[in-house]
Amino acid sequence: MGSGIWSTDVYDAADRYRRSTGRSAFSYSDSGARTVHPALDPKDATRESRDSDEHPRSTPVAVLFDVTGSMRTVPRVLQTKLPQLLGLLQRQGYASDPQIMFGAIGDATCDRVPLQVGQFESDNRMDDDLGRIVLEGGGGGQMSESYELAMYFMARHTATDNWEKRGRRGYLFIIGDELAYQRVKAREVAGLIGDDLAEDVPLRQVVDEVTHRWDTYYLLPAGSHYAGNAKVLDFWRDLLGQNAVVLDDLDAVCETIALTIGLGEQAIDLDEGLRDLDRAGSGVTGTVSKALARLGRERRAEVSTLPAFTDTVGGVTRL
Amino acid sequence: MNHVAVVDLGYGDAGKGTVVDWLCATRPVHTVVRFNGGAQAAHNVVLRDGRHHTFAQFGAGTFHPGVGTHLSRHVVVDPLALAAEADHLATVGVRDALDRLTVDGDALLATPYHRAANRAREIARGADRHGSCGLGVGEAVAYGLAHPDDAPRVADCHHPALLRRRLAALRDRLTAELGPLDAPPIEDCLPAFTGFAGRVAIVDGDWLGGALRTGTCVFEGAQGVLLDEWHGFHPYTTWSTTTFANVDGLLAEAGRPGDVTRIGVLRLVTTRHGPGPLVTEDPGLPLADPHNPTNPWQGRFRFGHFDAVAHRYALAAAGGVDGLALTHLDLAGPDLRICRRYDTTDRLTPGPPGDLNRQAALTARLLRSRPVYDDEPQDWPAAVSEELDTPVVLTSQGPTADDKAPHGPLLAPPALARTA
Repeated sequence: MGSGIWSTDVYDAADRYRRSTGRSAFSYSDSGARTVHPALDPKDATRESRDSDEHPRSTPVAVLFDVTGSMRTVPRVLQTKLPQLLGLLQRQGYASDPQIMFGAIGDATCDRVPLQVGQFESDNRMDDDLGRIVLEGGGGGQMSESYELAMYFMARHTATDNWEKRGRRGYLFIIGDELAYQRVKAREVAGLIGDDLAEDVPLRQVVDEVTHRWDTYYLLPAGSHYAGNAKVLDFWRDLLGQNAVVLDDLDAVCETIALTIGLGEQAIDLDEGLRDLDRAGSGVTGTVSKALARLGRERRAEVSTLPAFTDTVGGVTRL
Repeated sequence: MNHVAVVDLGYGDAGKGTVVDWLCATRPVHTVVRFNGGAQAAHNVVLRDGRHHTFAQFGAGTFHPGVGTHLSRHVVVDPLALAAEADHLATVGVRDALDRLTVDGDALLATPYHRAANRAREIARGADRHGSCGLGVGEAVAYGLAHPDDAPRVADCHHPALLRRRLAALRDRLTAELGPLDAPPIEDCLPAFTGFAGRVAIVDGDWLGGALRTGTCVFEGAQGVLLDEWHGFHPYTTWSTTTFANVDGLLAEAGRPGDVTRIGVLRLVTTRHGPGPLVTEDPGLPLADPHNPTNPWQGRFRFGHFDAVAHRYALAAAGGVDGLALTHLDLAGPDLRICRRYDTTDRLTPGPPGDLNRQAALTARLLRSRPVYDDEPQDWPAAVSEELDTPVVLTSQGPTADDKAPHGPLLAPPALARTA
């Protein structure tokens, strides 16, 4: 006979039922919303991943995905898969105290909601952010989306204890199927994020900035419009090298991200990770193995040493 | 394939949850039906990848996509614990558990007032605790018997004004009896209960008949027959019918009397959580149960050698089974023995339900009884089968569905077996 395993707190229960209602879809978007939800608005925002007594050694993980029309049903599949990511990371112990943030990327030249960013959460509240994402479904048809804006936000509008206290990079996964624009446009930044830039920032500089603090991956999934298109893959390989990854089965997205983090944290090597997946009865080991074959050969090197950089001193370029 | 009912022939914790999970892993199951108890059930299911959930109100088949849970009117429903349990299921990959749940509107509600009263009473018993879990399940049953037309029920959650009146009456009666209760104000409780009604499908008594016509249902018992309200060892019992009686009743109402395979679950080690007779208890057994830690309401988890006398009694009280599931065979070894008789008696015979004085006398007798042991059997399933005169149709060597093996045709997976 058991005992009181599950919380019977009356306030907590009311909140849980409130949250569970409409959690099952892009409820915000599907209800007709075409403007960014206040919780995801990047305007004048900073997203933080902080240590706490409960999570003393936080590992930030950001997953931003393209929500334009070329991605077809990919965002909806991601919405059903991504909530499992936290549980997967925690169960396997690939990263200490993972804190996950979800966001969405559109096209600033023609979309109403070109950038949406949630908060780093270490519990199911991140699901709420997934439900608040507006699906654009449009896109400009010029085979480019505003990934550079998302990278700009990650580079200059995030703060993590993992970096500030331990000099360790977080993980950034961008899931999409098109090219980025060549410049971060000052006008778009002013309107969407609120920074007053003197001039545009070249794409290459933004990639340098973001990869300095974020171990950045581009996942190109099957089922999207340009999947397998050599031009897209070459573009991202040029920017991110082996961190541009082709994913031929979207069902494997959580496992791919989890194993990538496990490799990055040196918690496992690729063979161990694939064995973990096999043991877990995962049906996607083949996909993950193929996607990560390049990563598995070479472990990530730590880029900074403690103490972490402070502001503009020490020869580190302040971003 | 007809329906299956799974009942524990001990004091609980024999492994009903893992047996139900295995049934749902090896054949198409429409719905797991709970027919007794409430949120105090704790049925542990472990998956191959290490994921674990302690099922309290959701059916232990919930890890399998599409398998529903139905809480029949015999369950005491606790919407507060249910919300927390659903949240935990989401973290282990099951995000639609609430979508797959149906609850009979006639079922009693467990509320914070029942819980507070339960705890106040149990604390007042001091050293003579009954082993209650402190969740108010028995309290809700008692109140439902005393005030059948006024007790808060699941369907009331759709009607806030009615629910408010019933909660107030409940609180006032319990407070008058026990003094101030440590429970939140009524107004603070209402959003949780109405939130539950807005999220979960509340159905009437006819729903189950439809499910039973549509596909295989698994009836999942809570606690164990030795804790049964009438056949258990009074007063160390639960306010719940733990035998097949409720299953038989539900099937008869649906016009399908007897359409069920009855499985009794036994563990190689007879265990008990909470006070009361455990004749074969042996604190020297080198065992621990990771899912049953010592808790303030029931104390430590108790282990004893296989008590065939008690299990024979449970089998008779339950009216027999078609087959036995024997779990924890991985514990077999020279430390474990089998008790076929006590120093004072060879056989305990259940009487008709309703005589608690008789049950209390039985309890007193058991507390004086000493076990007589035979050597460790070479073949445990054969020994158990012979002792209880019932075939062992499922054995379990470990926590996951993969660790189970059917014996004979009774539970053999159908040709179209699904994989977990």
